[in-house]
Amino acid sequence: MAGFIHRWFLSERPINSKVSELETSWDPRVSLIKLQNYKLTTKDICHYGFLSSVLLFVFISFPAPWILKFLVYALFGLLFMIPITSQFFFNALPIFTWLALYFNSSFFPASNRPPITVKVLPAIETILYGDNLSDILATSTNSFYDILAWIPYGLFHFGAPFVVAAILFIFGPPTILQGYAFAFGYMNLFGVIMQNIFPAAPPWYKIMYGLNSANYGMHGSPGGLARIDKLLNINIYTKGFSNSSVIFGAFPSLHSGCATMEALFFSYCFPFLRPLFIGYVCWLWWSTMYLTHHYFVDLMAGSVLSYVIFMYTKYTHLPLVDTDLFCRWSYGSIDKFNMAKNNPLNNDPSDVENVPLNMMATSSTIGSELDDDDEDAGNSRSLSPTLFDLSNSSATSNTSLDLQGEATPRSVKPRFD
Amino acid sequence: MRASAFRFPKTFLGFLPLYIAVEIVLGITILNKCSGAYGILAIFTGHPLDFMQGVSYLWSIFTLIVYAQGLYEIAKPTLLTFSQIFMFYSIDTIFTCFFTLWFTGVWFGVESAESSNADVNNNHSKRGADIASQGASQAYEYTITMFITWVSLIFRLYFNFILASYVKELLSNPKFMIDQDDVAQDLKNKKFYRRWWVKLQKNSYKLCRRLLV
Repeated sequence: MAGFIHRWFLSERPINSKVSELETSWDPRVSLIKLQNYKLTTKDICHYGFLSSVLLFVFISFPAPWILKFLVYALFGLLFMIPITSQFFFNALPIFTWLALYFNSSFFPASNRPPITVKVLPAIETILYGDNLSDILATSTNSFYDILAWIPYGLFHFGAPFVVAAILFIFGPPTILQGYAFAFGYMNLFGVIMQNIFPAAPPWYKIMYGLNSANYGMHGSPGGLARIDKLLNINIYTKGFSNSSVIFGAFPSLHSGCATMEALFFSYCFPFLRPLFIGYVCWLWWSTMYLTHHYFVDLMAGSVLSYVIFMYTKYTHLPLVDTDLFCRWSYGSIDKFNMAKNNPLNNDPSDVENVPLNMMATSSTIGSELDDDDEDAGNSRSLSPTLFDLSNSSATSNTSLDLQGEATPRSVKPRFD
Repeated sequence: MRASAFRFPKTFLGFLPLYIAVEIVLGITILNKCSGAYGILAIFTGHPLDFMQGVSYLWSIFTLIVYAQGLYEIAKPTLLTFSQIFMFYSIDTIFTCFFTLWFTGVWFGVESAESSNADVNNNHSKRGADIASQGASQAYEYTITMFITWVSLIFRLYFNFILASYVKELLSNPKFMIDQDDVAQDLKNKKFYRRWWVKLQKNSYKLCRRLLV
């Protein structure tokens, strides 16, 4: 086994490379020394301050004995202090915060909660997307469609985050798992906060109760997954969804959010498989509407939330991916994204082409080349750009249309995503 | 009206560079345009689409392809592509406003018909006032619906200005200047639809220069 691991993963490891090494110490003093030397940034203060405030809120409001709550928090504190566990658990803090808030949601007193909307989501879906797409896609049902919808919604959704994390850890660059935990945790955390601030009834509610007003005493419903329970002679989904912590949490769809986040991270690491991941998200969207768990607008909200958080994470946390390298142990160094350096609009002052146009005498003629061309491409008249005095041949121009598509602009560092 | 009369945003929400803003804008728009595919998929369930829905969904699918092209080229942008994207986005914004108004009318037409038939008070008389108050009132629901609709349209317009600003920056940057000889050379041996596509891009470019420079 050790030989197999070495041959497949460790054989490509660059000499003296330490970036992919994991912490193996059990000594909490290592963590304490790191903590003493750590310089907090404004970003860190916002990050840990926000998560701490949510965890404090959960600690106070969760209806359990204080000693039990204290023990759970102390256990997590210990896991954060031991270096070997800290490297995984501490980076997953946004995920634990989301889970804590999610399971605490069912204990909020109904008198302090916002009113439940029933008509808003179908109205928004019709206004923005032309029809109740979710209703239409759920009309014709059969056993084959049920199974097809159940696979991504009832199976993959619950296992995918762990599978994605494992694959990213092994085949992605070092530290990508930290970025994934950050993005995945925050997406779900913001999603649950939104679900509690704006409670909205899902499509199954409309099927069961019409557009009559809802109340917090109602039980959830498995929607179309009840057919799966019946088909497979099980009671998992009926029991699970009936006692869900957030029954009126249709908006945004965290199923959609999770699938989108997984697809975005996989597309970032394995760009050649992007169509496959896009296909998975589209499949999950369909299944979510088919099983009457979400409106299309919920799916969009979940995906947009995921996309925005991923973009933030990509430009602030994620390491650059080198698609030529096989796994995390193949990396000799970690490069982060440089926003300024990678800006295609940035000019290199040493480049003759990058003199601002308004400073040039020829600026009035630049761009007029295309103005005269209304005929077919074959017999077009052309002006050679006056910016270049090298020759009349367009082949000398670095700004030619053909080259623009191929060559990286000079000031831009090559990217691997 | 000339572009110089406007002050285009130089950053996204005050802190993000324009190229990242465009990536976010195109990504969000592409996600929303997927509605077209699911709208067309609805036909296969036997659901009839009216003319406006059909036009809306087909337009969504077409624009999705245009925007996807831009997202693919975001690291190495070309002026022709992004001129075309900006023009389509602007037309799409007008279409979106029109479709939104139209479908709002459709929704409220259906809603008023349903509410006149339904016995509204029947539901609340069976419950205590406390439980009934947990459900949103009709006024609250309408307010939230209109608020979300307006916010989405305002963001849409802001996104349009972000794209305009980005294309304006590309136009004023000599690195992205277009050489007509290469455009002509590029098209000579191409298929007709490719020629039509690039001609569309060139016309978009000319229009962008008139509007933004």
